[in-house]
Amino acid sequence: MRNDFKRMQVSKFWRPFRTDPTRFQEVFPYHENYKMLVENTDTLAYFMRSYTVYQMTCAALGHPGGSFSEVETLAVLFNYVLRFDPKNSKWPERDVFYLSKCHACPALYSVLALFGYFDIRELAQYGAWDSRLESHPDSSRTPGIEISGGSLGQIPGVAVGRALGIHRRGPDHASRMVYVLIGDGECNEGSVWEAFMAAGHYRLDNLVFLIDYNKVQAKGFLKDDMGIEPLADKLAAFNLNVWEVQNGHNMAELIDLFNVLYTQRRGKPNAVILNTVKGEKVGCCQYNPNWHTSAPRDIRTAQEWLFEIWQRDGRRLGVPEEFPKRLGEAIVIVPPLHDNPDPVIEKQA
Amino acid sequence: MAQFTIPDRNRTREMRYQMGYALADLASHYPDVVAVDADLRSSSGLHIFEHFHPAKLVKVGIAEQNMIAVSAGLSQEGYIPFACTFDAFCRRFMDQLYISVAYSNLNVKVLGAYVGLFTGKAGATHQSDKELGLLLRIPNLRVVEPGFNAEMRQVLRTAAETPGPFYIRIVRCEVEENEIDETYRFQLGKGITIVQDQNPEIGLVCTGCMIRTAKIAAEKLRRKGIRVRVDHHPSLKPFDKDLVYEMASRVRGIVTLENHCVSGGLFSLVAEALALEGKQIPVGAIGTDPEDFIHTGHVNDLLAHNKMTSEDVVEKACAVLETAAGGIE
Repeated sequence: MRNDFKRMQVSKFWRPFRTDPTRFQEVFPYHENYKMLVENTDTLAYFMRSYTVYQMTCAALGHPGGSFSEVETLAVLFNYVLRFDPKNSKWPERDVFYLSKCHACPALYSVLALFGYFDIRELAQYGAWDSRLESHPDSSRTPGIEISGGSLGQIPGVAVGRALGIHRRGPDHASRMVYVLIGDGECNEGSVWEAFMAAGHYRLDNLVFLIDYNKVQAKGFLKDDMGIEPLADKLAAFNLNVWEVQNGHNMAELIDLFNVLYTQRRGKPNAVILNTVKGEKVGCCQYNPNWHTSAPRDIRTAQEWLFEIWQRDGRRLGVPEEFPKRLGEAIVIVPPLHDNPDPVIEKQA
Repeated sequence: MAQFTIPDRNRTREMRYQMGYALADLASHYPDVVAVDADLRSSSGLHIFEHFHPAKLVKVGIAEQNMIAVSAGLSQEGYIPFACTFDAFCRRFMDQLYISVAYSNLNVKVLGAYVGLFTGKAGATHQSDKELGLLLRIPNLRVVEPGFNAEMRQVLRTAAETPGPFYIRIVRCEVEENEIDETYRFQLGKGITIVQDQNPEIGLVCTGCMIRTAKIAAEKLRRKGIRVRVDHHPSLKPFDKDLVYEMASRVRGIVTLENHCVSGGLFSLVAEALALEGKQIPVGAIGTDPEDFIHTGHVNDLLAHNKMTSEDVVEKACAVLETAAGGIE
């Protein structure tokens, strides 16, 4: 906290696309503000990725691979699709977003902070004792988190119950949607398929399963550990409307998909296969199971990552090089609050 | 819904059927109460609920993990879901209960049916006697085991009216309408003294339907000239330690009775509480064997094998009193 955050306030370079996030208004490619939406959301994704590096390094904790692969999806959802109120996270008319691959919460914490659910300076306390940002999210502590999780395969079923509950609430809640982002490796869990089965059975067309198909699970590649192909056929066989995103990092493709989904209430739940790259935008992490878990080893590495992300995105989006530099300098690896009288050496991941 | 026989409310004493009626009454009173079934409704008693509120029964099929996850989601839209399956299958959804429900502190009520031995010839797969070991150690979760039908109704109502997760253990067998008296009111976190002789020598601590066995054993002990006190603890979490301490200060020995194994459940609660307070008093345990599975057999054979009849309680009580006497010498 002693670092001067004012000198690199994000608001100089980025503000939410919508002035009122409680409303959804379609933006099509032939609209004047379409290009602005794409750029604005790309910029948000850039900052999310940067702050993800920042908080993981401060905490010496994190899951960079899965956090980086989901950034664009989260960015589009929060910047454009979801209706929510950061000042009133329990607003009863909100759309619901569940992150089921909870280990990838640094990206979610980043976007929540950038939308003002909590002070962005709290990100430095990710994983620290007494902070609200647990290593896996705790809904009873963190505003904007819909449910606690971390044990994989549970939240798709929760999303089914939520969508069913919204459906039962009747016409006044009919426009509310439930989105749940599921990991591809998470689809190894049988309970995920119980949820798919129930969603199809109840024809919950207010429910969207988003599958972050980054091809890598915790310790290896899906195709080697436990493959899920043919994924689209399986999902279709469970009575889901299946959509494939060729490049889950292409903002325009994501925006166009959500525009289509908005008009696709056809009595079936939707399942979106997002083809993504694990560790996207940081070369050493990409498609590399070794970077599923593990924060950057040290501050210097983190600074290199921040610079690489800036080279790929920040520069073209008009963010000055000063930003990643300052953010890198602001990193402080948070020490424990207590001394230990016993000679226990805990090397952090 | 004529698919299943609906037992006569005034005739049946089986707790599972009375539970179905009680839940149906609750749903009439509280519009947000729904039941969630994992394909066991005519066994668990939920078919009675379905008979009265067909639109309020959510079916998830044979998918216990999803039953709890869906209940969690329903509760987030303001519903009060009562998810019901066999208690034994809580082994299948323990993590959903632990993380999605308890860690998030959601308003989900779980009814574990067919607890313990009083279940018919079901065996190790469908009978449950080890589960309290984890259930009693889940933060935010309240665990209650009612002993008779009037109490069960009050427990369901308390669960519906108290925000947060509950786990309620329901037996299949016939139980009395009321084991205490008309004025008794269940209170979360409270036990109650139901038999109180002057200067009691032995204290019986029971939970759930073992209240019946405890009362019979108390009568037999009296006939032997032993003065008895019986405490009933329907609320296992939170647990009324003060009542245990109070009993321990008045009796010479304690015997716990539970429809569960003698490790991780009521005996452990009592023994841990006494040890932490430094109360040195012998405690005997009536319950099943933590080192064995429940094998298939008539309930009488199971009770005999596990030494859980009133005769066994009397024997255990006498042994405990002997230990206590030996301790004094």
